[in-house]
Amino acid sequence: MSDNSHGGVWNESASVANLDLRRKVVELVYQGKDGHIPSALSIIDILHVLYRHVLRHDPQAPKSPTRDYFILSKGHGCVGLYVVLRKFGYVSDDDLKKFCRAGGILGEHPDANHIPGVEASTGSLGHGMPFATGIALALRIRKLDNRVITLVGDGECQEGTIWEAANIAANQRLGNLTVVVDWNLSGAQLMPLDNLPAKWSAFGFRSKVVDGHDEGELKEAFEWSAETRGEQPSVIVARTIKGKGVPFLQGHGPWHHKIPSAEEFERIMEALR
Amino acid sequence: MSGKSIRQQFADTMVEVGQRDQELVVVVGDISHFALQPYAERCPGRYFNIGICESAMTSVGAGLAKLGLIPVLHTIAPFLLERSFEQIKLDFGYHKLGGNFVTVGSAFDYANLGCTHHCYGDFALLKLVEGSQIFFPASPTEFDALFKAAYRSQTVNLFRIPSRSHGIEIAASEIQVGKALRLREGNEVTLVATGPQLANALQAAERLETEKISAEVIYVHSIRPLDTGLLRDSLQRTRHVVVVEEHMQSGGLGDDILRLTREDPQIRFASVSIPDRFVREYGTYDEHCASLGLSPEGIHRAARELVIKSLR
Repeated sequence: MSDNSHGGVWNESASVANLDLRRKVVELVYQGKDGHIPSALSIIDILHVLYRHVLRHDPQAPKSPTRDYFILSKGHGCVGLYVVLRKFGYVSDDDLKKFCRAGGILGEHPDANHIPGVEASTGSLGHGMPFATGIALALRIRKLDNRVITLVGDGECQEGTIWEAANIAANQRLGNLTVVVDWNLSGAQLMPLDNLPAKWSAFGFRSKVVDGHDEGELKEAFEWSAETRGEQPSVIVARTIKGKGVPFLQGHGPWHHKIPSAEEFERIMEALR
Repeated sequence: MSGKSIRQQFADTMVEVGQRDQELVVVVGDISHFALQPYAERCPGRYFNIGICESAMTSVGAGLAKLGLIPVLHTIAPFLLERSFEQIKLDFGYHKLGGNFVTVGSAFDYANLGCTHHCYGDFALLKLVEGSQIFFPASPTEFDALFKAAYRSQTVNLFRIPSRSHGIEIAASEIQVGKALRLREGNEVTLVATGPQLANALQAAERLETEKISAEVIYVHSIRPLDTGLLRDSLQRTRHVVVVEEHMQSGGLGDDILRLTREDPQIRFASVSIPDRFVREYGTYDEHCASLGLSPEGIHRAARELVIKSLR
């Protein structure tokens, strides 16, 4: 683990998965002239594992009562979600083409009123996770066994409502809730005291730290969190790299919300071949 | 009229509705916990004294609504509405999820507790949420009738519970969402009152009568939807309107009625309300009312000046 005291970058393996999805993220932002590329590349591997291996879901019936609930609490990573939703059949190529365009359904934050498979309209940090906690409580009231998984940012963990909801989830014994933290160290730039596994443990969550770009570790962690269902909520703190896959985007520089020029676009796509 | 408090009626209504409707879920932030024990006992698993964390409590309520449950969120008004406004706006409002916000601590009911526990901008705030419904039930019967009529609508519903009733007996059958009540007929000035101030408005009308000024009194428990039909009819006849409310002048019931007066430039308008400033003084509820003119004398004075001014 690298020193994270100043919002650095984890020293993780150089291998990069999901290159096709990563390229699509960049294409979308380049064409739509909006979006957060590094944030999307930070979570894309987690999203892919969720939709491929973990969530009980059916793109033909996005509102099926048997579905698991996934809430992207850090809504600004939504371009990563969109390309995964495309891969699994929730949205079309035409929807992607209209990203951030009039008449389209995909904007720079996900909108549950428009997008099949999106459960919550997020973007303002600190909303999705408490909302997911309410869904988990409702499932327990209704005696249903669906899972609730929510993905929060490490910077988002500076919002008070995250910890209010963590307190509620632990005290209400919502073992059907799994929180995934995208620990890419952007939060530590602002608040260097950033020991997130210890914080979540202190709030009563079972906690596991994984490499957020390693499919095997992620799968195993989601299986582990499923086993805890019943009493104690769980958290998977995923060490991730903002901009993972494109060395000159990585970290916490100006690329957070930057749109690539034509030349930069070619360089990024070259890095993702 | 029974001596039951409106807050006790809230607790009683929850028992009745909760036993009938298995989807009702009551979530409180450590307020009215003891009063709600009968509900908790008779509706097991659907009562949560969730903790002192109003913003997350509001989002949790929206999560309950996402699965088709009917949340009732309850605590002191400023904490539930002002602190959690973004949660109400986004998690309920934008998602088109229904929720019931039942507050105590109407306006300056917690008189001596000061600004932290006062909430007199809530009508204005909740009007900002698309499709919201705003109720100010100032008698137990009104709370019971309005809650039962509205709680399942897929909207954000505010029920502002005052600590004091207006004390006027109104039959449950007369209480309907969006319907104001003409409690006294007159033809020179319309006194529109909401909340406990109805009692003062009726007294002011009596005083006006002794001065040969005929006052009509309209009582509004549904701030939104507003009974514009009844109000328009009255205003067109009397051409003078005084709106009496325990709310800031900006954004309250008065603003909506002021908009109606624009339809006829001859209608004259006055507001007896809280000026657009904080109530910084200590004192009892009655002392706050008296200093703000929310009294028979204050309403009488405002109405008299309005009518006399137009005769000049």
